[in-house]
Amino acid sequence: MNVFESFKIALSSLASNKLRSLLTMLGIIIGVGSVIALQSIGEGVVDKEQKRLQQNGTNLITVQPTSQSVGGIRLQTGNSNLTLEDSEAIADPERISKAEAAAPELQTGGQLTYNSKNTFAIGIGTTEAYPIVRDITLSAGEWFTESDVSQSKQYVILGATVAKDLFADDDPINKTVRINRVNFVVTGVMNPKGGTGFGSLDTRIYLPITTASKRLQGFRGPGQTSTGKTVSSIVVKTADTASVNPAISQITDLLRERHKIRGGQTDDFEIVNQQDLLQAAKDQQATYTIFLLVIASISLFVGGIGIMNIMLVTVTERTREIGIRKAIGAKPFDILIQFMIESISICFVGGLAGVVLGVASSIIVNATVPTLPTLLNPSTIVIAVGFAVAVGLFFGIYPARRASKLNPIDALRYE
Amino acid sequence: MIRIQDVTKTYWMGDVEVQALRGVSFEVHDGEMVAIMGPSGSGKSTLMNILGVLDQPSTGSYTIDEEEVADMSEAEMAEVRNRKIGFVFQSFNLLPKLSALANVELPMLYSGQFGRGEREERAINALEAVGLGDRVHHHPKELSGGQQQRVAIARSLVNDPTILLADEPTGALDSHSTEEVLAIFQRLNYEQGITIIFVTHEHDVAAHCRRLIRIRDGHIEADTPILDQQWKYNALPGVQTALARS
Repeated sequence: MNVFESFKIALSSLASNKLRSLLTMLGIIIGVGSVIALQSIGEGVVDKEQKRLQQNGTNLITVQPTSQSVGGIRLQTGNSNLTLEDSEAIADPERISKAEAAAPELQTGGQLTYNSKNTFAIGIGTTEAYPIVRDITLSAGEWFTESDVSQSKQYVILGATVAKDLFADDDPINKTVRINRVNFVVTGVMNPKGGTGFGSLDTRIYLPITTASKRLQGFRGPGQTSTGKTVSSIVVKTADTASVNPAISQITDLLRERHKIRGGQTDDFEIVNQQDLLQAAKDQQATYTIFLLVIASISLFVGGIGIMNIMLVTVTERTREIGIRKAIGAKPFDILIQFMIESISICFVGGLAGVVLGVASSIIVNATVPTLPTLLNPSTIVIAVGFAVAVGLFFGIYPARRASKLNPIDALRYE
Repeated sequence: MIRIQDVTKTYWMGDVEVQALRGVSFEVHDGEMVAIMGPSGSGKSTLMNILGVLDQPSTGSYTIDEEEVADMSEAEMAEVRNRKIGFVFQSFNLLPKLSALANVELPMLYSGQFGRGEREERAINALEAVGLGDRVHHHPKELSGGQQQRVAIARSLVNDPTILLADEPTGALDSHSTEEVLAIFQRLNYEQGITIIFVTHEHDVAAHCRRLIRIRDGHIEADTPILDQQWKYNALPGVQTALARS
């Protein structure tokens, strides 16, 4: 008995009982379909996150203030303990040899108005070094200079999205916008950096840090005091990815010394690098994958039980057929193979239907929900179908063995 | 040739030991047409199962073409059934979802000795031999009882078996179909020399054979030739000539 003939018999027996075959397959269809759909959504989200992180550059280090511990008791973050001087010290190549550039960030926020239009933007107070650190290029105008910063000029650079919202097709350069009722002159517009949502650099505006702390004082977050010297964070760029870790240890030493933190005390700042975030995103994906595998295993297991159930019914129903086949010379192994192929076929066909379902839902989600980009992974599809076939194999063994062991005399007499 | 020697068969029905066969011996030579008769409970069905290699004797020996069946594995028994035995049952036992052609091809699928084209050719020849050349693609439910039994006969012959075992083959047929089917058996026996063993309880049917084995209570009660005067034949030219010659 060759396998091809067995497949033909199996498929024709599936086709002769279409409703039952469909119901039997449903567990497998849903299992495979949901795995493919969910995996494509998860992979899409993680991929988006990774792209965003990579955009920022993998050689970027961010120093942030953190809560201090006194005698093992963690205190709430009160005052920002990073200062402009800390930033300048880090920027000093003699102290931090691995840093290429460093710039402070002082976060403010504000309502921007130009004529009748208005928008809300995150404001970043910083220095002239910022474009180098963040790889920012301007589509028009120029970044403010060192002297602009020291003189607290009321200049502002607009992110691409902000510029478009306020000025549409007009030229924003040298126009005056009001940020929280303070006038600022637009001196530059950024090239779009890409990325969407809250974290995008395109929805930000940049102004000299000195101006930000003096003029927009009332609108700073609770972390910043009014000394005019504190910063929200310090961004450091290294020459390459390999320099990231040495730079971190140099900065740590420097800041501990400047903040007079002794040996046993914990740091009052934390240093985050993009690679850590990238790794975190990858870990997140791994967790997600395990979670998916658990769901998939459960649904395929349930589907498999359904298949075993139906195969046992089928074997009983076809006892006489088994008797006839044995009488005319089918060996136990031939019968075993016939029923195994039948259960595998159910799972294979169900798996293919699941692929269609999963791919279709993934495409539909991609087209209708813009915040959920999906990414179909061919290996997931292959693995899911392979898994479905394995389920057929595993849950088909018992019914098929039962069929193969039937006594031909009893089976022939079965009504 | 088949030889049965001191065959006994004992089985248990619950706590009761049933001695279905209590020492049976006989031989059937190639080309014979033998009827086995007996009342129900005589051990006739048990003997049939053993002759058909569906079951093995408890003691004694059974050989087909000098091959001992008594100590074969299940797979070996299946192979013997496939190559050496053709079954014709009272209830036809065709697979309802397969066409006449596919039903006849089935034994060749399991023997695996013929290619696709050859299988089909042999199956069509076998169906033509039983007069169903124009019904090859019909399904069993589209055929009359007599036609279904002829498909079953074609299936039993397609692997060139040593013996053809027919278990009440006319039990479910009307008298016209019975005549038709018996004529086919006689012609196969006469023209092609196929060995046929008939199990029946109808004298009329048994009378179409040339030898009668009567069985009762697990013993052979009588093993006698059927004399020409008692022999019934169907009005086939070949069979008539044979009778005239003898």
